[in-house]
Amino acid sequence: MAQVVLKEIVKQYGSLYAVNNVSLTVEDGEFVALVGPSGCGKTTTLNLVAGLLPMTGGDVLIGDRNVTDLDPKDRDIAMVFQNYALYPNKTVYKNLAFPLQMRKLSKAEIDTKVMDAAKVLDIVHLLQRKPRELSGGQQQRVALGRALVRDPQVFLMDEPLSNLDAKLRVQMRTELKRFHQDLKATVIYVTHDQLEAVTMADKMAVMSGGFLQQYDSPKNVFEHPVNMFVASFVGSPAMSLIPLEAINTGGKIALSSSEGWQLPLSEANSKKAQTASTSKIVLGARHSTLQLHKSKESNSVPGRVYTVEPTGDVTFVQVFLGGATVIVSLDPSVDVKSDQEVWIEFDQERLHLFDGETEMALTDP
Amino acid sequence: MSIATEREIAARAKRPIRFGVLRQMVDRRSDYLYVLPALIVMMIVIAYPIYYTIELSFFNTPSNLQMKDKVFIGLDNYARILTSRSFREVTMNTFIWTVASTFFAFLLGLGAALSLHREFLGRGVLRAVLLIPYVVSAVAASYVWKWLYHSDFGVIGALAVQFGFTDRPINFIDNIHTVLPSLIVVNIWKEFSFAMIMLMAGLQTVPDQLLRAAQVDGANAWQRFWHVTFPHLKGVSMVTVLLLMVANFNAFIIPWIMTSGGPAGASDIWITQIYTIAFGRQRYGLASAYSVILFIVMMTLGYFYVRALTRGDDTRVK
Repeated sequence: MAQVVLKEIVKQYGSLYAVNNVSLTVEDGEFVALVGPSGCGKTTTLNLVAGLLPMTGGDVLIGDRNVTDLDPKDRDIAMVFQNYALYPNKTVYKNLAFPLQMRKLSKAEIDTKVMDAAKVLDIVHLLQRKPRELSGGQQQRVALGRALVRDPQVFLMDEPLSNLDAKLRVQMRTELKRFHQDLKATVIYVTHDQLEAVTMADKMAVMSGGFLQQYDSPKNVFEHPVNMFVASFVGSPAMSLIPLEAINTGGKIALSSSEGWQLPLSEANSKKAQTASTSKIVLGARHSTLQLHKSKESNSVPGRVYTVEPTGDVTFVQVFLGGATVIVSLDPSVDVKSDQEVWIEFDQERLHLFDGETEMALTDP
Repeated sequence: MSIATEREIAARAKRPIRFGVLRQMVDRRSDYLYVLPALIVMMIVIAYPIYYTIELSFFNTPSNLQMKDKVFIGLDNYARILTSRSFREVTMNTFIWTVASTFFAFLLGLGAALSLHREFLGRGVLRAVLLIPYVVSAVAASYVWKWLYHSDFGVIGALAVQFGFTDRPINFIDNIHTVLPSLIVVNIWKEFSFAMIMLMAGLQTVPDQLLRAAQVDGANAWQRFWHVTFPHLKGVSMVTVLLLMVANFNAFIIPWIMTSGGPAGASDIWITQIYTIAFGRQRYGLASAYSVILFIVMMTLGYFYVRALTRGDDTRVK
């Protein structure tokens, strides 16, 4: 296994930048998730690492080698694809053997390696079957086996779980995580599902519009999103963002809404708010940090319930507040109804402030 | 839907079973009415000619007699054809013509489809140009090729002389040894675009991810074609070859216009031979017997081919 370094990689299609100056280092044995919405450049980035697309600029290093100008087969990588990309006319055994055959290994060597991989993935009983005779989960495992059999420096995975049904996806997620832990493999994993990234990855690279927005551990990305995009993308349900106006009330800053209410900020938050480029500030809060009151309390602001979504363990309540929708999680025993007047209390320690112009997170000066 | 009264139900139950089919036809008369026009046309233009051809094949129809004076001769027509040397020669010609045309048209079509599948400058124009043979009228093309091949004025012969391949123009279609290959070349030129279109459509179905997977697995361009692309083209290839074979067995326009089966029957194939017997020598009975033989051969081939095709499907389902 090896370290992977992306140095200022760029992929341009005409005037469009699919990947714009992305640099990141994947340490040896690390599981890194490239995550972002459709069209953010995450799959393109993965294909650039694989060498399946020519790069416009930048370098890719795998181990100590600069592989920028090498063919995919010479990069010592293995790839797992979204729809598994198993060869439909070959049996599972031949699917696993194919990359080894292409490397002209002897029959005996191929057999040993295929059997080893099949044992690890528990697919020995499937070896004589054709891919179409397998379930989605089994196909996924074969695809993983075909990558494993090569003993590559890096595993590249392109949304490998998104074709599975919800239940199987959760199961395969834990299997994949285990697979990574057992093999101590370097994995670069593309997904649009931030939950997959958060649950599996050591580090996640959040991408949008071809740019790398934030590259950090899931915990840090979750707790300290660098901008509004990351804040709204990571976490389920997403962070609520309320556009407000900062006003100075004798040294302290308060956030004022178009509806007339004001939310005084704590001292620490006031300092952050003062670094904003304009008076436009976006307040961000995760559902679990908000408290809902049925009657007016100090430090709470008024809103109206839009919908109530019970999920069993928690009930999510969407509240209209300051011209935005805020999601609050409640204990299912709390009884609220649509159109009910409620008061929301923010946790000053755990709320996020963003610059309304630059959309960047406001931090301590 | 109306609800049947008890009496109606009882009446239905009492109705004898042998009237069931008829009854159904009456009940569903509007359905039959809708397919009737198509059915009538089919009876007139397909079923009746087949019946009449079979009937005619048992009669002698001398050209000096009217059709109503035809003479019943049983299986004599069949015996005459199957024992004749010309039948063996024509069958051999048909076989060479069909296999060679189909094979090379397919191969050329495959090559064209593969090269046009990739993105390059002028691809659209090239694709349009390569489609020309398919859209040009076969009759017009045959006349043009006849002149291209002409022993005195043909441009191919002239070019061959100019470039020093031969000292005098080549006699393509007036020579019993070169006529059939020359016609096959025209046929391939005319047909390969069809194979190209079919295979281009087939190529669209090859998943991109599979080719990428093969690339990562270390397969070179040829290995990717052999292990990924070609297996995906199997179905469409079978259909293309079947359609080309049927078209070539039944080919008429190109050989008839260019040589009419000559010289000395060297380019005679089944259909041109039947046409000559029927409308040249006015031997309708003999021509009908010939047609029936061809019909049986075609149906047998078709049966085996379709079975081979569908057997593949069955294993795929299992």
